[in-house]
Amino acid sequence: MEARPALSFQRSGASQLSNHGVSGGLSSSLPALSTHLEETYQKFPNTQQAHAERELMTRPLTHATCLPANNGVVGHIFSSLSGFSSDIHYSSALPSEKHSINSPFISQSTTNTAALPLSQSSNSLLPQSTIPSHCNKENSGSWCTDPDFLDFPVSTTVLSSQIENSSCSGSMRSEDFGKQNDWQEWADQLITGEDASASNWNELLVDNVTNLEPKMAYQVEKPCIAVLAQNQQLPSPSVESHSVVNPSSSANNAPAKARMRWTPELHEAFVEAVNQLGGSERATPKGVLKLMKVEGLTIYHVKSHLQKYRTARYRPEPSEGSLEKKLTSMEEISSLDLKAGMGITEALRIQMEVQKRLHEQLETQRNLQLQIEEQGRYLQMMFEKQKSGLDKLKGSYSDPENPPVPSDATNEDATNEAPTKSEVESSQRDHGNSGTGTVNAKSVLERSPQEICGQHKAPETGDLEKPETRVSESSSQQTSKRPRIEE
Amino acid sequence: MKFGKRLKQQIEETLPSWRDKFLSYKELKKLVRLISSAESPMYGKEDAEAEFVYLLNNEIDKFNGFFMEQEEDFIIRHKELQQRIERVISTWGTNGTKPSEAEYRDEMARVRKDMVNFHGEMVLLVNYSNINYTGLAKILKKYDKRTGGLLRLPFIQKVLQQPFFITDLVSKLVKECENTIDEMFPVQVEEEIVKEQREAITVAGKGIFRNTVAALLSMQEIRRGSSTYGHFSLPPLDLSDSDLIHSFQLNPPIPTV
Repeated sequence: MEARPALSFQRSGASQLSNHGVSGGLSSSLPALSTHLEETYQKFPNTQQAHAERELMTRPLTHATCLPANNGVVGHIFSSLSGFSSDIHYSSALPSEKHSINSPFISQSTTNTAALPLSQSSNSLLPQSTIPSHCNKENSGSWCTDPDFLDFPVSTTVLSSQIENSSCSGSMRSEDFGKQNDWQEWADQLITGEDASASNWNELLVDNVTNLEPKMAYQVEKPCIAVLAQNQQLPSPSVESHSVVNPSSSANNAPAKARMRWTPELHEAFVEAVNQLGGSERATPKGVLKLMKVEGLTIYHVKSHLQKYRTARYRPEPSEGSLEKKLTSMEEISSLDLKAGMGITEALRIQMEVQKRLHEQLETQRNLQLQIEEQGRYLQMMFEKQKSGLDKLKGSYSDPENPPVPSDATNEDATNEAPTKSEVESSQRDHGNSGTGTVNAKSVLERSPQEICGQHKAPETGDLEKPETRVSESSSQQTSKRPRIEE
Repeated sequence: MKFGKRLKQQIEETLPSWRDKFLSYKELKKLVRLISSAESPMYGKEDAEAEFVYLLNNEIDKFNGFFMEQEEDFIIRHKELQQRIERVISTWGTNGTKPSEAEYRDEMARVRKDMVNFHGEMVLLVNYSNINYTGLAKILKKYDKRTGGLLRLPFIQKVLQQPFFITDLVSKLVKECENTIDEMFPVQVEEEIVKEQREAITVAGKGIFRNTVAALLSMQEIRRGSSTYGHFSLPPLDLSDSDLIHSFQLNPPIPTV
């Protein structure tokens, strides 16, 4: 398949990489990694599926961790993947790789196994992170045949983050945003269009060979994305092992992976920091990060947010704008009609009414859904409680000396606020339900586990349960009473 | 299939960039059918369930990512709109630096339009969250029914905790937006005109507006009355003026690509 040519590159690239003096003890690990990369590349394509059909039909993975395989948000990090050793500084190796013919691509490819941040927030893709455990697993060599690959998103994230890393390293920082915008759109195209063809892939590979660093980063993304778009297979987990530690990032890898949920307050702090630094154009992510002083916030979060912020300022309400462009001609016609009819004001008013209505209904629906599930949970718990009661009943039947008194036991749960064993015993003796002394003694034994169950359950369920419990207990008591009478 | 059809309709009507972010309901349904019908020894039940869960988790991650992305955008745009209003007032308002009633009116009209559309987009995101949740609940129910599994209850509990389902922040922004619009652009409603102009609305081809209408009607349909009404079914939706809303549902004169 198309990815094959890349594989051979990788091997040579790996050795080249080591020749270039990759920092740390990388050179030894690189060849091992690169072989894994080969496999990973094969798996790659599957990750960024725009359409779920393909994803859904892939082999099952045991790993539940997934990255959002959507159009661009790859920020989702795998918390399950513990931080990969940050000793691997691919980015530092990158500049030196410029000079080798194949290495740029390869090194990029090896390092850029992360997912593609296809959306605007590609900046937020966190590099490094992930990998470690999977990498180790994969290194055993058995994983190529192992269908248990990590979710694509993971590898794609790594890829994207790596791409980002490479593009972000050193002097390239300033070119970041421009490039990323470009390849984002481009990546978007590839992914959504699923147009990546083999020829594209090969072409890109060839292109990569002669590219200088700035273009390199750009180009590298293309093949990766192409592979992603093309192939349907899952990316190998080892891909993640290539997450590169972004030199500009903070030392902490694990939080870097986590997707950030922004709030208005956080955004306020962000805006303040940006203003302090002289505006959105002049502010740098690092500076903003320092000023904000928020725990767990990484430079990637800030970077992506800053990009969104800049876009919002200089292209206010872009989505409506683009929509408008599509409908301009129609709108002109419609606006004329509207003005003749009711005017834009009225149209907006009605639009607002419909929107408000929809929102109201959505909120109501959501509350109902929550209630339904809560009710379901409660019913389930009740069912389980009943079931355990019935099991006790069945269990007792097997032992002739032990007439079943589960209902009594459960009834005790309901009636006793804080049943203790002694209390139970005494109340049981006084209790008229059981009938015989032997039954009393046995039922005490039966009851204690039941009591424990009840004790565990009672705090969970709360007051609502008690009356219900009594109702159900009494009914079960009825049923259990009948057999006893018959006996 | 009713839900499936409705979902498909909504996806078709939705904003283009959202199209692939919805639940792959049809595919998941096919999978459930496959699992229930062909329980081959080669593919044990646990494996099938594992794969199903894996795919569902994938979908959930997709929703989460997209939702949080949009949410972040909304937070930024919300603040920007407010600042824009302040700027317009302070520049072209009566006490502004360059007071000009004409400019003020024009700019405010633009702001109003943008705000209404922004409001619409946010509501659509809440709708997105809801419809995907509904789809998940349905598919889980189908799974349990077909395979006799007990996947639904614990899984749905997990879904309820997911970021995409917790739409509180977006709802809050929606309400704030409504308040701002009501304050800035108080509307005098004239009943007769409204009725007359109903037909004129048909030409409004704004993606967001049509989307909203479609979403609302879909919701009504979905909740019309279930054939498998049970403990977990929602009551039928009550829209008092659904006729009016139905009248909004029109084909654009120019088909949108």
